[in-house]
Amino acid sequence: MNRHFRSRKTLGIVVASALAVTVTGCGNRDDAGRSGDAAEGAPSPGITDTTVTLGITTPLSGSTAGPGTCTVAGVSAYFGAKNAEGGIEFGDGKTRTVEIEALDDGYDPQQAKANYDQLKDDVFAMTAGLGTPTNRAWRDAAIADEVPQALIMTGDPIFSDTEESPWQLGFVPIYQNEGEAFGELLAASGADHKVAILSQNDDYGEGYVEGFKSAVEGADNIEIVDELTYEATDTSVDAQITELAASEADVIFNAMSLVPLVVSALQKAQQLNWKPSWFLPSNTSSPGAVLEPGGGAAFPGIYSVAFAKAPASPAFAQDEDVVAYLSALKEFGNYPDAPAFPHCQWSWMVGATLEQAFQNMEEPTRDSFMEALRGIEGFQAPLMLPDTSVDTTQDGQPAVSSVVVQKYNGRGYDTVEAFE
Amino acid sequence: MATSSTNPSSTNPSSTNPASATSVSTSSPATGSAPPLWQRPWARAAGWLLLLVVLAVLPLVMTEFVNETLARIGVFAVAVLGLNVVMGYAGQVSLGQIFFLGVGAYVTAYGVSNEWNIVLVFVLATLLPGLAGLVVAMAAARLGGLAIAMVTIALPIVGVPLAKRLSDYTGGSQGLSARFAEAPEGSGLFDDQWQLYIVLVIGGIVFLLTRSLVRGKYGRAFAIVKGNENVASSMGISPYRYKVLAFTIASLIGGVSGFLYMVVIQYTSPETMSFGHSIELLAAMVIGGAASIVGSILGGAFYVLVPQLTNQVDASLTTLLQGVILLVVLFVLPGGLASLPRVLTRGRRRSGADRGPAASPTTPSSTPGSGTAAEESETERQGHA
Repeated sequence: MNRHFRSRKTLGIVVASALAVTVTGCGNRDDAGRSGDAAEGAPSPGITDTTVTLGITTPLSGSTAGPGTCTVAGVSAYFGAKNAEGGIEFGDGKTRTVEIEALDDGYDPQQAKANYDQLKDDVFAMTAGLGTPTNRAWRDAAIADEVPQALIMTGDPIFSDTEESPWQLGFVPIYQNEGEAFGELLAASGADHKVAILSQNDDYGEGYVEGFKSAVEGADNIEIVDELTYEATDTSVDAQITELAASEADVIFNAMSLVPLVVSALQKAQQLNWKPSWFLPSNTSSPGAVLEPGGGAAFPGIYSVAFAKAPASPAFAQDEDVVAYLSALKEFGNYPDAPAFPHCQWSWMVGATLEQAFQNMEEPTRDSFMEALRGIEGFQAPLMLPDTSVDTTQDGQPAVSSVVVQKYNGRGYDTVEAFE
Repeated sequence: MATSSTNPSSTNPSSTNPASATSVSTSSPATGSAPPLWQRPWARAAGWLLLLVVLAVLPLVMTEFVNETLARIGVFAVAVLGLNVVMGYAGQVSLGQIFFLGVGAYVTAYGVSNEWNIVLVFVLATLLPGLAGLVVAMAAARLGGLAIAMVTIALPIVGVPLAKRLSDYTGGSQGLSARFAEAPEGSGLFDDQWQLYIVLVIGGIVFLLTRSLVRGKYGRAFAIVKGNENVASSMGISPYRYKVLAFTIASLIGGVSGFLYMVVIQYTSPETMSFGHSIELLAAMVIGGAASIVGSILGGAFYVLVPQLTNQVDASLTTLLQGVILLVVLFVLPGGLASLPRVLTRGRRRSGADRGPAASPTTPSSTPGSGTAAEESETERQGHA
């Protein structure tokens, strides 16, 4: 009998101490803090007369930590610089500084939801977080709690559908936008092209292919000669490249999200002496990480899409935006190195777009913020390339849906007007 | 690992019962004297009642975030409990527990989005992972030791691409959302309170059932299989059958935790069952205390609270800090957090300069331990022989 009692006492102690830890760890917030209790027109949580707090949950550890760290650094740098100037004047006439609370989710949806639960009563809006599953994990909860999930970094179209996602808005172009931009360029070239398509067998690859096909539909000069897929877990696409090479296509549309696979695909095509023009998605077309090891210079053309200036490019070294951005990133973004991922630039633009919304919101409420956020049109955010802009007024489209097609020049990318 | 307690040649008579593993070293001093107040039946009943009342009232008085955190702890405590059955009690290394949680979560999400009856969904979310576990176990249990670990690694590694490919059922890499655990109209409860009650009731039942299981004849059989398969065979206990049984029970419990996962987190994607989480669950089990019911709860708490804690300290150093905490706990408390009271009482007894047989060198390793304890048990057996 002893032992029964003993473990019971242990249990008691343990439960008590676990509770004590949890309670002290979380502080005491009263029940009134539960969402839905706030009176009409009263300020939303996370905003006072002098400050507004934004929450971010993003991967800061694990394999996506690189881009994830950037998503925090850019927006922190932007508002850090603004705060140093005294803050931002909001639409209700008050000047507020912007605080950022960022938590690590390690690309784990469960942890992302936990982070959201932790932040939702303290922050005015959630923003800038990276990842499709990690943002989807709390999308429904954010709608139920009426917490803005604004300008997040995922190409998943669901976040840009106002009907389905009333409290959400994606920032970066959805996959379809990118595929479409390249398809339009190709269709407008006038010359006959045979296109081979290789795509990742998931929503990512399908989105690119869907956008591309919708753009070349009805164009007589474009013929899709072969279409293959691979799995995101595959370690080689040599078989697919060999088969596509046999199709004698002069253009390959390669919707691939994995850097090592793109490199090996480029190398395999060279081994087979197949030299088509390539289309690569924006996240796997980095000159340093993909094209140099893959020997991109061997091909007649490698095309990708972009909407942000590349700070590493010599063309923008003296650019005013880039200079201001790099110094703020170092000073306020806790990011001393040269930005290795475009997400840093995107996140900086998220900051600029949020500032636009803040300037237009007339009440310190989440409702008013969402209304202001959905009313931004033709805004040329800092670091944006010419011919691209922020437009949040179109249903079904993310904040940035305009991209320009660029061609690899051996070192970096140049914007091109036509397919050569 | 409960090695010395399962050892037939142990000098400590009270330790021959494997089920008493959590209390062997503390039970001896009370022998002979009248039971203190808290050992009397009425006091124990009162203790249970108190615990029940606390658990019933708790969701009502806590804040939303505390409730949500407690519910999450409950989810992973159940998952760790399943792992404990197969690893802690039956001694078979399993690295696939997260797969069963994932299957349970997917079945729940699919059933809910097709508007099946919720009881049916729960039954399926429990039975299907159990069935999967049975099939895998029938193959895996024929192997011994680390070979089982290698087979079970395959589960999450196969699970992730499988979930991506079966996109008609799983939603592909975009995952499935299912909000079905909203507080019923008229109950006056908030959603977070309702969800915590669901977790407490289902999780509580699972814990009680498992407790009975591991303290009964099955638990003793598990312990013998874990201690020495040849001894088990000679006693008429088929190691193969009990390994399969333990594995199947673990996957059933994993399925239940998958259902609770959907109650609380309401979303599942292939990331849910990524291999890394399986290792984290295993670490949580070792930290909490292997072969310990209370340790499972502590393991769940560790799984949930440590990332929150490290996020508060420095969001960009979470993994590093978690590693440090893991190492510190394992160095200071090799038996896991559940061994803390025992370590404290032993310390007190030692300082009393009364070193009886209870403080013999083997006693510390009566503490449930990690995989390394398997080697310890080997040497100990030889030492006693």
